[in-house]
Amino acid sequence: MPEDSKVNEKRTDFIDKIWGVFISLRLVVILLLVLSVISVVGTIIEQNKPLQEYYRLFRPETVELLGKLGLLDMYHSWWFTSCLALLALNIIACTMERYPLIIKGMKKPNPVLDEKLEAGLKDMAKIRYSLPVETVEKGITALAGKTFSAGPAVTETESGRHFFYETGKYTRLSFFLTHLSILIIFMGAITGSIFGFKGYVNINEGEMISAFQSRQGQNKDLNFSIRCNSFQVDYYETGAPKDYRSDLSVLKNGKEVIRKTIRVNDPLSYEGITFYQSSFGSIPENVTLEIRGKDGGSLGNVIAPVGKQVDIPKSGVKIEVADYREHFHMQDGSEAGPAVGVNLYRPGAEPQGIWLFQEHPDMNRHGEYSFVVKGIKLRSFTGLQVNKDPGVWIVWTGSVLLVAGIMMAFFMSHKKFWLRIEKDRKGRVEVTAGGTTNKNKHAFAAEVARLIQSFREVS
Amino acid sequence: MTNSLLFGISIFVYFFSMVLYVSYLAFRSESLGKVATWTLFAGVIVETAAIFLRWFESYQMGIGRAPLTNLYESLVFFAWTIAIVYLLIERKFKIKTAGAFVTPFPFIIMAYASLTPNEIQPLVPALQSNWLISHVVTCFVGYAAFAVSFGVSFLYLFKVKAENRPGKKDSSFLGYLPSSEVLDEVGYKTIAIGFPLLTIGIITGAFWANVAWGTYWSWDPKETWSLIVWLIYAAYLHARITKGWRGNKAALLSIIGFSATLFCYLGVNLILSGLHSYGGGQ
Ligand code: HEM
Repeated sequence: MPEDSKVNEKRTDFIDKIWGVFISLRLVVILLLVLSVISVVGTIIEQNKPLQEYYRLFRPETVELLGKLGLLDMYHSWWFTSCLALLALNIIACTMERYPLIIKGMKKPNPVLDEKLEAGLKDMAKIRYSLPVETVEKGITALAGKTFSAGPAVTETESGRHFFYETGKYTRLSFFLTHLSILIIFMGAITGSIFGFKGYVNINEGEMISAFQSRQGQNKDLNFSIRCNSFQVDYYETGAPKDYRSDLSVLKNGKEVIRKTIRVNDPLSYEGITFYQSSFGSIPENVTLEIRGKDGGSLGNVIAPVGKQVDIPKSGVKIEVADYREHFHMQDGSEAGPAVGVNLYRPGAEPQGIWLFQEHPDMNRHGEYSFVVKGIKLRSFTGLQVNKDPGVWIVWTGSVLLVAGIMMAFFMSHKKFWLRIEKDRKGRVEVTAGGTTNKNKHAFAAEVARLIQSFREVS
Repeated sequence: MTNSLLFGISIFVYFFSMVLYVSYLAFRSESLGKVATWTLFAGVIVETAAIFLRWFESYQMGIGRAPLTNLYESLVFFAWTIAIVYLLIERKFKIKTAGAFVTPFPFIIMAYASLTPNEIQPLVPALQSNWLISHVVTCFVGYAAFAVSFGVSFLYLFKVKAENRPGKKDSSFLGYLPSSEVLDEVGYKTIAIGFPLLTIGIITGAFWANVAWGTYWSWDPKETWSLIVWLIYAAYLHARITKGWRGNKAALLSIIGFSATLFCYLGVNLILSGLHSYGGGQ
């Protein structure tokens, strides 16, 4: 079936071509540059912002287009991920292609400096001595031993005595370390995104939680509870926070299993889930309001707990504290100090949301009432980032291997060096010496030249 | 503050060393070259004293931290590392001619630093970490190596042009430069120093972010730009072992790489927004 085999041939031809592209360094260079150029885009268009911010910056059609192209979350878009996948395939192909070559390079070399080997060596020299052979041998092997730390393999043949030195054989593996570690880092990142989660939780001082909110906005239950025993902040004289910390307890089945004070850069881990000190703040527990009527006369004080409707005395109106800002920003950008967000419930009317300012009672007139914020009883809360990432250790392993691989690739090489000591026809001692390396050939040539120069001075 | 006085002196010394290196290139006098190198060395000594004094003064103020934590301090440290890395490279590879292309950096960077606020400020909690020092030092020594490679790559491009010009040996300063092979080699060797350092810098940064915030990589502009720089130099390394990309194209990548490095360091803060502390002169 000649037709068939032709098709087959064509196909292998095609596969060979694809393979050729995949293992070419050209593709690597282009791929790395393409990745760097498209990464720039994501730093110009801010990523993963709330949609309304994009609408503020761009026209609606533009926002829609950017969204469709994946440019609002581009590092997770199909095309960015494809580029990374292509890089991974590229690395795998390269590794497969180079594997035999590297293994071959590590094969036990010929320990005998024969004619064939001699013809192939570049950094080579012959030296003749009129000294006893033992003296020459002792002198030059001592010198060679200083340069090449590993002891020589000695072989005796009819052509003379051969000494073979080899160092850094395993540095040939640096190619695998450098390139496979990138795949390991990718695997760690994938593991984290499949089996991990990220979320956020606020805990009021003295209270306990056993669920948190994930980044996607879902409520997630924990197998245990976390209690914030206390929360503290220290400030610098400038007013900037110096240190903030939460005294946390982990409770399992009602029993305390761990207690630890966490701060920024010092989180708490339990059952693979880590709690990071992320933010802090305070919320009011209750607000004391003095209410005045139209004529300015006081109607009395009320203490309004957050989230509960309370009656304004001598009226059918109810009031509820719903929100709080420590530093309220006015529309013109100025600051108005602490403000309490309140809902007013008038009978038969829609609830009305208003802001009451502690430092500006003059701004607190709403219809027939005006309000004075007499006191706000605050309660601090600690803001924790909740995180589980089982892939993180894979990422660190890959990172260490990557650095080790790069160091090995740049600063180490596989060196081989041969010596042959023989007697020529006239009975003089002749030494032939030469070596090769796989990298940094200039430096090696200089090293060998220096060594051979020192051989000449043996006496 | 006495550290500012010393920093001020070092700006002048760097300025003179730059002038001397340029004159060396113009007049090709060996003794001028020697003076240039010694002047640069003197600048490094003065600046070293200034950095340690600033460190000491921060302890006296009761703040006590390594001077590596705001824009001013990072600029100063950057200038310092460039000068030191250049001196080491000059000594090892005997390429004094590159000095005219590299020494403007310490001077310009120090002059720019003198325009930014330089009070010793206390650290926000996120920066109170031992990872800070290893992260900042590895990144900046890496950047400094890239700066030297940038200068050498520029020389390479000039030199190649001169070598390819038919006719007599070039009598301008180009004839005085090392051969293009040597420049190519030094350009590569410096990147071979910078690349592992940048790699360690990115990894320690990621490790620190993971300890502080629980995310080792969040694609914020600073992180992303450091990855961009890393990718460009990775491309350079592969370009150099590829026929057809060696030489000119590799030198061009080294120049692009350092431009990206500068953007990563300064542009991101001044132009793009980021989480990092070297925020443009607040
Ligand atoms: C992010 C991805 C990559 C990084 C960080 C990386 C890193 C490196 C480093 C540091 C070296 C050593 C350079 C030197 O010795 O001068 C190197 C060499 C090399 N890389 Fe990559 N590489 C990557 C991707 C690839 C890919 C996809 C291929 C496949 C074509 C590849 C093929 C090679 C080859 C053939 C060498 C030369 C090895 C040798 O001289 O023995 N690299 N790479």
